[in-house]
Amino acid sequence: MRTARLVRQSLRMMARSKLRSGFMMLGSLVGVAALTLVVSVGEGANRKMLATVDQIFGGSSILVFARGGGLMGGPRGEAVRLSLADAEALARELPAITDWDAQQGLPNAPVRHAEANATARVLGQTERTWNRGVTRGESFGAAAVAGSARVALVGETVVRDLFGGADPLGEEILISSVRFRVIGVLERFGTDAHGMDRDDEIVVPISTAMRRLMNADTIQAARLVVKDPAALAATAGEVTRILRERHGLTSGQPDDFVVRTSLQVQKIVVKVQRVLFLFLPLVAGVSLLAGSTVSASLMLAAVNERVGEIGLRRAVGALPADIQRQFLLETAVTALGGGLAGLLLGFVLAEMAARRFTLGNVFSWQAILLGLTAAAVTGLLAGVVPARRAARLQPAEALR
Amino acid sequence: MIELQGIGKTYTRPGGDAVRALDAVSLRIGRGEFVAVVGASGSGKSTLMNVLGLLDRPSDGRYLLDGQDVADLGVAELARLRNRRIGFVFQAFHLLPKTSALENVELPLLYSDRASIKGLGRRALEAVGLADRIDHRPSELSGGQQQRVAIARALVNEPDVLLADEPTGNLDTRSAGEVMALFETLHEAGRTVVLITHDPALAAHCGRIVHLEDGRIAAAREAS
Repeated sequence: MRTARLVRQSLRMMARSKLRSGFMMLGSLVGVAALTLVVSVGEGANRKMLATVDQIFGGSSILVFARGGGLMGGPRGEAVRLSLADAEALARELPAITDWDAQQGLPNAPVRHAEANATARVLGQTERTWNRGVTRGESFGAAAVAGSARVALVGETVVRDLFGGADPLGEEILISSVRFRVIGVLERFGTDAHGMDRDDEIVVPISTAMRRLMNADTIQAARLVVKDPAALAATAGEVTRILRERHGLTSGQPDDFVVRTSLQVQKIVVKVQRVLFLFLPLVAGVSLLAGSTVSASLMLAAVNERVGEIGLRRAVGALPADIQRQFLLETAVTALGGGLAGLLLGFVLAEMAARRFTLGNVFSWQAILLGLTAAAVTGLLAGVVPARRAARLQPAEALR
Repeated sequence: MIELQGIGKTYTRPGGDAVRALDAVSLRIGRGEFVAVVGASGSGKSTLMNVLGLLDRPSDGRYLLDGQDVADLGVAELARLRNRRIGFVFQAFHLLPKTSALENVELPLLYSDRASIKGLGRRALEAVGLADRIDHRPSELSGGQQQRVAIARALVNEPDVLLADEPTGNLDTRSAGEVMALFETLHEAGRTVVLITHDPALAAHCGRIVHLEDGRIAAAREAS
């Protein structure tokens, strides 16, 4: 009876002192919001990294990058020698390779449409367009690649910059003064793990890029899909052997290409994730500490401000334990309320960050769990000291 | 009912010097008495009120409440005695802000071990003539009304003794008169009232006046 009466009265008083209760919530609100923001964005960044890796490697595959034969700072070596024929030969000779693709492109090509000018990354690819679909129009087929057709797939940033967001399908654009027809819009990707806007891209048939845009007969990279991950390492060795042979490299000469398997990249990803997940508890600890400190000082201020009330309650029969329970209850309720508000604020901020940096979905159960735990710990840490101080006040002194 | 035998109270100031606030105070207060404790500020009357109200323990001497030495009682028992047997009225009212008159009056009931508190707060407010102000907050009441709410709060648990410390100190003359009239009514209804004041004119309302000077009882005389 007595406890229930006292709890009800405490809650009623808190509801009436909205300003004070709100202030008391600030500590856990700030702490939990910071925590939620960092954890959500961390998770979003992690997802983004995995998506980037997945987009480049497409599951289990080997990437071959071209490299000039020269060493850093040394005399300029031979020109890039990786070619479409190399990729075709590898796919023919190594049965583990189930599919392949190639890429050649310009990192910064001037593009024009009517009066609008921009620059974009132009990628020449085969009809197997490196795992990226189109959301409007259609992709180009094998015939376009074979015939070096001047057709282009444009990213959403290009649509915005050149067409002001209007429908680009069927329109003509100039890439390095070569006329192309837009036949499709690439699905949105956002910023990749390197911070590059992957929507500021134009994809054209690789043959067209090589012949009409770059006048090159080499490629920058080839992707060799190896369905069986167990065969990756052995196949990578074979790829190196065959390419050295085709490029006529003697045993003293360095490779003029770089071979990367998706397994190697996976290892890097795991390393990055480990850093991320070591970093998160640290941030959690710091925001928790900050939140607790703020809450505790606000609670102490509340106790000091309410010395008279504490004295009165003691005079009319409250036990020190009643006073302690009252203040603990108040901190618990405000910590929980502040924690929930902090979660909401943290997610809103994370969502804004995600929009700004196109991170995608940032909702994280981990953040909710951590946030609520943080709120509880904040409340506990912040509540105990002020509540005990309130309970220890001598009634005669408190009433003075 | 209340018997103080040679009560002394020594405080230690933060600086380290000891202050003798009460010295060899012996006093008997019988049931139904209306006693004034009069003294200048610093005479020890607030300390005496704290001792009488079980808010502070004396340094020496004995305090018998109905024959029981309160020195033997623990914190919980003292809190229970304050709750059930003593009603406090303060100069500064000490009402909870943003809280209705009724809820303020009910505060001592919350800390009591009563199973039901229904109706008691309302009855106490009726006794001080504020039945029509039950839902008003302190900020919506005049000073005199606020002090009457505080008196209702002191009465709500039907205590044996009312301890009033300068109850009219924050009031204008008219409100002070109303509050004093209320104390007289309560006294006539048989309640024990101890009024602590620096004002001899107020003390003149009481049946007995105890003068405190430098922590000692200077004179106690029957009102003429």
